[in-house]
Amino acid sequence: MKKNRGKIIFIALCVIFSIYFLYPTYSDYRLTQTLHGLTGQDSLKFLDDHENDIRQARLKRIKLGLDLQGGMRVVLEVNVLKLMEDLAKNKDDVFNTVMQEVRTEPRGIDEDIIDVLKVKFQTRQIRMSRYYGSIRDSDDDIVKKLKDESTNAIDRAMEIVRNRVDQYGVSEPSIQKQGARRIIVELPGVSKEAEVRQLLQGTALLEFKLVIDPEITSKVYNSIDKMLAGKPLTDSTSADTSKTTASNEDTSKVDTALNALPGEQVKAQEKAEKEHPFYALANPFLRPGEEQNWNGDLFSAEENKAKVMRILDQPEVKRLLPSDMSFVWEAKPRFVTEGKKFFALHAVKKQAEINGGVIVNAHATIDPSLNTPIVTMEMNSEGSREWARITGANVGKRLAIIMDGACFSAPVVRSKIVGGRSEISGMESVDEARLIEIVLKAGALPAPVEIVQQATVGPSLGEDSIRQGVWSALLAFGLTVVFMLMYYSTGGTMADIALLLNLLFVLGVLAGFQGTLTLPGIAGLILTMGIAVDANVLIFERIREESVTGKTLAAAIDAGYTRAFTAIFDANLTAFITGVILYQFGTGPVQGFALTLMIGIVASVFSAVVISRVIIEMLLERGKIVHFG
Amino acid sequence: MGKRYLWYTVSVTVIVIGLISLAIKGYHFGIDFLGGTELIVEFNRPPDVGTIRTMMDKEGFPRSEIKVFGQPNKILVRTQLQGEGTSVGDKIKAALGRTFPDQNPRVLQEQKIGPKIGAEFRRNALYAVISSLLAMSLYVAFRFKFIYGVGALVSLFHDVMVTLGLVSLVDGLTPYTNFEIDQNMIAAFLTLIGLSMNDTVVIFDRIRENQKIYRTMELKDLINKSLNDVLSRTIITSGTIFIITLILFFFGGEVNRGFAFALTIGITTGTYSSIYIASAIVLDYTLRKQSKKLKPAVAEKISYEAINQGS
Repeated sequence: MKKNRGKIIFIALCVIFSIYFLYPTYSDYRLTQTLHGLTGQDSLKFLDDHENDIRQARLKRIKLGLDLQGGMRVVLEVNVLKLMEDLAKNKDDVFNTVMQEVRTEPRGIDEDIIDVLKVKFQTRQIRMSRYYGSIRDSDDDIVKKLKDESTNAIDRAMEIVRNRVDQYGVSEPSIQKQGARRIIVELPGVSKEAEVRQLLQGTALLEFKLVIDPEITSKVYNSIDKMLAGKPLTDSTSADTSKTTASNEDTSKVDTALNALPGEQVKAQEKAEKEHPFYALANPFLRPGEEQNWNGDLFSAEENKAKVMRILDQPEVKRLLPSDMSFVWEAKPRFVTEGKKFFALHAVKKQAEINGGVIVNAHATIDPSLNTPIVTMEMNSEGSREWARITGANVGKRLAIIMDGACFSAPVVRSKIVGGRSEISGMESVDEARLIEIVLKAGALPAPVEIVQQATVGPSLGEDSIRQGVWSALLAFGLTVVFMLMYYSTGGTMADIALLLNLLFVLGVLAGFQGTLTLPGIAGLILTMGIAVDANVLIFERIREESVTGKTLAAAIDAGYTRAFTAIFDANLTAFITGVILYQFGTGPVQGFALTLMIGIVASVFSAVVISRVIIEMLLERGKIVHFG
Repeated sequence: MGKRYLWYTVSVTVIVIGLISLAIKGYHFGIDFLGGTELIVEFNRPPDVGTIRTMMDKEGFPRSEIKVFGQPNKILVRTQLQGEGTSVGDKIKAALGRTFPDQNPRVLQEQKIGPKIGAEFRRNALYAVISSLLAMSLYVAFRFKFIYGVGALVSLFHDVMVTLGLVSLVDGLTPYTNFEIDQNMIAAFLTLIGLSMNDTVVIFDRIRENQKIYRTMELKDLINKSLNDVLSRTIITSGTIFIITLILFFFGGEVNRGFAFALTIGITTGTYSSIYIASAIVLDYTLRKQSKKLKPAVAEKISYEAINQGS
């Protein structure tokens, strides 16, 4: 017992961790089952009651690949050629013929289009500066710049796609960059292809909208809050017209609402929810004394966003709103408290002041004198005139930058901007500035993407696959267990325990590392059982051999484990190498297979070499006799 | 080991049959290697494949592939023709809806692969198979002796060829064995390389161990003894994995079927080849080297010759 204490503790820890990682998967399954059993009101109530549990479980359960869950997988690729066409200054006949040639000529899959273009222009003895950059740039400079542009384009496309997918409301979307030019979008449970395609491929719409004065906004919000609380509206028109008298009283209401809210006792919170149902969901988060300077922003936790929008959409609430008022959420959370992401809500004018198409360029840099991140933005001449008029008329007000219906920033206009060059400052980080640059450019220079690969799996096919996978896994497991028991008797029991733990570890590791289980992955899992048995068979056969030579049982077991180790090690390492290669070269589902295979190999060596041995030695110490057939 | 020349002949014959089948029948690439659009559609009743074919021809997708997918009411439709975005898939879906209005065709799965991606996947797959063959042999050459690496490489290559040949041979024989060379199949090939290697390494390991114990034993006897030592392990392990892959083949679903078939063949040939190919090559090579040592290296230079002093 003493000899093995360290090992036993380690094994126990592995088991505990695996169960810990797998628990969310189990609880998700149980919750879903319960939910399926309920109908109508009951299911809604259950959803409300267990909202948090469900979300937690969803987040941490084993992810199912699209082939099991159903859904869409789309691979987008930035069309570099199209981008080069868009970027060119003056497209003459020569340019168009070159483009046509590049488009139609067959090319190797690794050739860079920009290099191909360079060669094309060089053979015609045309300097690239004729179409790109400024006249003094050498071809190499331009090629470098164009390559930068194409990398930027992928970031832009990715941001546009992410923004739209977020708003489309898919649960657990995955958006990843693959290589330098591709984006992999995985949307579980989505099957409306046409809609999604539109979502992923259309050009981004960038607008600047004026944020409505906080004085008006606060009155509107207050009246909504009152109405929801069931209080009689003292003056329903006050929201629209009288600014002077009501203003002070109203803002102080906002104040009490918040003071009662964050961090206070539950009772106070319940009271606040009853008295201020609207502010309980969408909170200005003001500190006392700040209410005079409130900028009109409300903040809602992520899970409340939909509720707030439903409230604002109610007809009786709509009657309280000025006709030109609309609402827009910020795309990224502003802050995180108590594990909840809070998003800002802006009340903006319905009509956009100006469209993003007038932007020529945007660039994020560091202001050298203040050492803070800034974004510079340039507009074309027509846009500059408009921009001067808009900024001149709205000094001190905020202009929200809105892409595809989500706000990315709402900077204050400091002064009238003439000449079209603006500077946006006040960002907290370089990343934030980069994001604004990307968004501003998205309006100016769409990143042309095309779908190069698309797969849609209907949910029923996924269900079939899961059922077949689970059945074959159970069957394989059952047969293996029975066979080992029959062939190795007591030793077989050890091997079966090891096999069971092996399965537990593989699933646990998969859950712990947020791996994805695919249909080939299940095949890998089943195959792992065969591999796990192999290590045990090697050892047990060796023990049999050793005991034939006349060794005592304990000595034979010891020799068996020691001698079998090199074979187990070499044999499994080679199999592991194939797993690594497969993971490297495969995509999607096949990677899932490689992943389970690799985890399975490691787990099976561990369970055969360590676990079964510890159990056998413990039995021997207690004077039991272990049979190997 | 005495009958190894017989087994060499058997192996060569199987591979040649496979190659002939590959040459005549060829094999089908999966959609992920070909590029194009593929739909799996479920109908209320088994539809007439001929009607679908005429429909596809009329829609401008001649030479499309149409076959039953698992059950007779599930049909796989595939064309290699490319279109902008997913327009091809949309067109086919619309046409199916018009042709079979009362059959309610439901799309179970739709895939579109651009031609560039297909070429890339093909290349990656080839690299994966070649690099794993090389990695395995290098590892064995490094851990054992160089010739063991060669033996391993030849036996792995043998397994891949046999399996590829049999996949081509059985493909399309029954409605349940429509095999395609796709990414899953490549995964199966890599796995069978790993499993066959596993077997080979266990035998080599035992040969290495026995060489230390029985220093004077003839290599042929030594290899025979080592093979016998590990025989029961080989049978049990391969048997278990064989049963498991069979279960996958019959119950694992349509998607895993080709994969499971290749593995079932692979585990069989893998076990066989580690004995009759890998070990046999090591034996033959060593024997040849020994026999060369026995022969005099250079013909004698010093010799007597009769001198003819004229006559």
